[in-house]
Amino acid sequence: MIGILKSMATTMKHALDGSTFTVEYPETAPDVSPRFRGVHKFSQERCIWCRQCENVCPNDTIQIVMDDQRNGEQYNLHIGQCIYCRLCEEVCPVDAILLTQNFEFTADTKHDFVYNKEQLKAVPWYKDIDPLESREPDRGAWIGEGEGEVDYQ
Amino acid sequence: MVEAITPIALQNDETILLPERIGDLTGLDQFGVGGELLAAFLAAFIVGNLMLAMTGVAGPWAKRKITAAFTDRIAVNRLGPAGLFIIVADSVRLLSKELVIPEQADRPAYDLAPIVVAASALLGFAVIPMGSGIHLADPEVGLAYVFAIAGIASIGLMMAGYASSNKYSLLGGLRAVAQNIAYEIPLVVTGLSVVIFAGSLQMSTIVEAQAATLVPLGPIDIPAWYALVNPFAFVLFLVANFAEVGRNPFDMPEAPTEIVAGYQTEYSSVYFVLIYLGEFLHIFLGGAIIATIFLGGPAGPGPAELGIVWFLIKIWAVFLLTQWLRSAVPRVRIDQMIEIGWKGLLVLSFANLLLTAAIVGLIT
Amino acid sequence: MSTELERQQRPVEVTEGELEALIGDRALARDDHLNAPGFVVRPDDVQAVLTDLKEQAGFDHLSCLTAQQYEDRYESIYHMKKYADPTQEVSIVVPTSIDDPVSQSAEPVFRTADWHEREAFDLVGIDYEGHPDPRRILLPETWQGHPLSLDYDQEKPQIVTLSEHANPIQPDHHDAESDTMFLNIGPHHPATHGVLHVKTVLDGETVVDIDPDIGYLHRCEEQMCQQGTYRHQIMPYPDRWDYVSAGLLNEWAYARAAEDLADIEVPEYAQIIRTMGAELCRIASHMLALGTFALDVYGDFTAVFQYAFRDREVVQDILEDLTGQRLMFNYFRLGGVAWDLPEPREEFIAKTRDFLDELPAKVDEYNDLITGNEIFQVRCTNTGVLEPETAKDYGCTGPVARGSGVDYDLRRDDPYGYYENLDWDVITKDGCDNYARVLCRMQEVEESAKIIEQCLDLLEDWPEDDRTVQANVPRTLKPDADAEIYRAVEGAKGELGIYIRSDGTDKPARFKIRSPCYHNLSALEEMCEGEYIPDLIASLGSLDIVLGEVDR
Repeated sequence: MIGILKSMATTMKHALDGSTFTVEYPETAPDVSPRFRGVHKFSQERCIWCRQCENVCPNDTIQIVMDDQRNGEQYNLHIGQCIYCRLCEEVCPVDAILLTQNFEFTADTKHDFVYNKEQLKAVPWYKDIDPLESREPDRGAWIGEGEGEVDYQ
Repeated sequence: MVEAITPIALQNDETILLPERIGDLTGLDQFGVGGELLAAFLAAFIVGNLMLAMTGVAGPWAKRKITAAFTDRIAVNRLGPAGLFIIVADSVRLLSKELVIPEQADRPAYDLAPIVVAASALLGFAVIPMGSGIHLADPEVGLAYVFAIAGIASIGLMMAGYASSNKYSLLGGLRAVAQNIAYEIPLVVTGLSVVIFAGSLQMSTIVEAQAATLVPLGPIDIPAWYALVNPFAFVLFLVANFAEVGRNPFDMPEAPTEIVAGYQTEYSSVYFVLIYLGEFLHIFLGGAIIATIFLGGPAGPGPAELGIVWFLIKIWAVFLLTQWLRSAVPRVRIDQMIEIGWKGLLVLSFANLLLTAAIVGLIT
Repeated sequence: MSTELERQQRPVEVTEGELEALIGDRALARDDHLNAPGFVVRPDDVQAVLTDLKEQAGFDHLSCLTAQQYEDRYESIYHMKKYADPTQEVSIVVPTSIDDPVSQSAEPVFRTADWHEREAFDLVGIDYEGHPDPRRILLPETWQGHPLSLDYDQEKPQIVTLSEHANPIQPDHHDAESDTMFLNIGPHHPATHGVLHVKTVLDGETVVDIDPDIGYLHRCEEQMCQQGTYRHQIMPYPDRWDYVSAGLLNEWAYARAAEDLADIEVPEYAQIIRTMGAELCRIASHMLALGTFALDVYGDFTAVFQYAFRDREVVQDILEDLTGQRLMFNYFRLGGVAWDLPEPREEFIAKTRDFLDELPAKVDEYNDLITGNEIFQVRCTNTGVLEPETAKDYGCTGPVARGSGVDYDLRRDDPYGYYENLDWDVITKDGCDNYARVLCRMQEVEESAKIIEQCLDLLEDWPEDDRTVQANVPRTLKPDADAEIYRAVEGAKGELGIYIRSDGTDKPARFKIRSPCYHNLSALEEMCEGEYIPDLIASLGSLDIVLGEVDR
């Protein structure tokens, strides 16, 4: 009986203190750790088309199309199929692909999640966190670089 | 003490019931039996809607808010002030759903069950004196009537369980019956101890008997509410009542994690709403019975016109208690529940009855 | 950490010579694995050899059975251990011919071989003679072919039909003679913790017989790992076996096997980070286990579940800071971890310390709320009883075994990581019932907190110039051909073992997962027969299974 009363007292204490641990999303956007892995951002300016990301990807999420001169033509990434393992970023020698903190993405069909390089470039930064700085502090910042239209050189 | 338990055997004819008052006010009583019937209908309409409105608030909104408070969450807050308009949204949502009826359902029984569950609870409110003159009928056998009519609900649950043609529902229906039989007797026997005090089955008499002073305490008189006169009976009655209406820790007939909501598994749309309303009405009816026979009915400080307010507060307090228990007390197992009922509560309730009878007999 | 006394109590090591003598002529050849001596025996000697090993040499734990097909033969490998000392291992290799793959069943010797052999039959196609229940287990009854055999056409689509008499909408068969009722619990049921289907026979409310039907969540995890490269592509997947937050523990299972296979040294500093991360995962996983078990007993999404979730949330925040994800961490790398502690380091350490400081108060709250509640005690004691011998026979491990008084924890008994150098205890309870398992998990949370505390101290004071988080591992890893290894770690639910055979390429030729949930679940029938439905649900909850790991 005492045990029952004790458990009732415990829950009542919680009811009366009025504190909540849930938040009103999206009004209160959650804090995301700088290392958090969200949607990719791709910079064609940096990319050297070495295809290492395509090779390392565990479930064939990245598709690179090149012409016969080995010039890069397409860089497609299915953000709905991606398992967000960050291996592409890890193997990239020039930091051309980064995982931003952005986890908010929606689409009407799953096919809309196939991002091409323009869409990948336009992925917004989440709360202006620079992932590169937080992950590999010696490599310098990425943020602010490569904004705007894709430069086709 | 002696005064408090002196039986008041007389009918109190001076009580004006709600139908008569409505008849008076609207002038319907001039039209003979037809007019009286209409007045009675109007009165019942008011009381019934009051109770239904309460369940409407309790089901979609209050229950969520209370649960959220216990679990440190926010709960409904987008629609209207404090999320109150969720009641409207939920009603629309529930009523606009497709009514899915299992192919092998036993049709008349399947359709009747939700009505029986909801109606049995609503009918019970007919004899409850709610204060401020809201009292529909006051038969001499009021208490017996209310137990009898509330007991019909278990037939409804059994019908629902059996007619759904679903094994989970069947188990739920059987559990409901086993539970109701096991706890109906302690419930009624404990109620009888109150009758011994009051000397009457009539609700208004029971309420009046509790108006006496138990202990004068300075400026405030502690009233002779039977919960204070006989707290043991009060606790027994509370426990039996929770089992009777199937609330934690005795929510076996539903038991979502075991038998997937039991008898209501196959109900959807309007039927589901009816069953759901019926359940809440039963909680409130249980609260009303407790308030009437143990907590002095509509009695409370302030003018008598505030009776209904005090009465509703008492009902909601019982509702709150069910939700509090829900947050903290695990469900007992079916065999344990039957054991508690037959071996524990039944014995205790008879002991309580004998003791009460002996004490009352000695004093008077 | 094992004390001297405990070490002395360990059974005497059985030498290879003694094993050779014990198996004698029945050993056709030796087939040593990196972790254990291996003996090749004839298919009809299996029971005799295993019985001798169990009764005379004390190998009472059939940890895993790996079945695989070579070009010229099928092979079943029985990985045997001792509960008293899991570092003593032996592998019994049973080759069978390609044309007639029939091997003797080990089920009469070890109950746990039942499900092992059903899986081997299902996926690889070896028949076990004398098996009491030779059905498929993961795939549907009507599946054509065995997906892990070499001649299986991976590209061919299959239409899976219902077996002839299983018409789901046919009317129930009413039998006036029968006293029992058949009830499908699941695959869609609120309390089966995933898509588990328990075929239950009831007598009133009493459970007469159950038959867990698994495989609804079979995602070919073993095959996926066989198609990934050792160095990078396998590591993201262990997170997805037991997906409810035991990610780092699972990653460690793969890391341990692969590192031993390829002979990679892990820097000490990385081991400490691994140990800390793994224990954080264990806390998160046990919190969830506690919350969902309470949910099964309480019956509603009420306080207990939410409080457990709230506390788990804090752990997940810490893990997010450390690894970058909340569930699918992909934090371990062969030879270390992906990242050092996040900068600023002091902030991370302080945050973790805060969590540890608040933990005792929270544990007290759980004790008030759950374990101290009389109704909870009445509900949980003496229900779901699993005797220690039965637990061993079914290959139960983890909190399920420890709640039955089996003192078996790989962190202490087969040390890896940094556990050896830390001061903590293995919790065992003798209750053997649901209540003992709950208590065991709750106290393990406190032990994990102790470990994390010590790791934090070490990490804080670690010399600045020695903070190497990854050993130098080649980009393409090709272990020696035909090297075989079976390694296990103490996952959140128990012994999580990985068997890898390499064929000299950069991808494993056979990757076998020994899932603790799979074997813990197989013991369910022992636990709940003769009990009531509510206890069946509670026992299932107390096993703390994750269907993703059961079905793989």
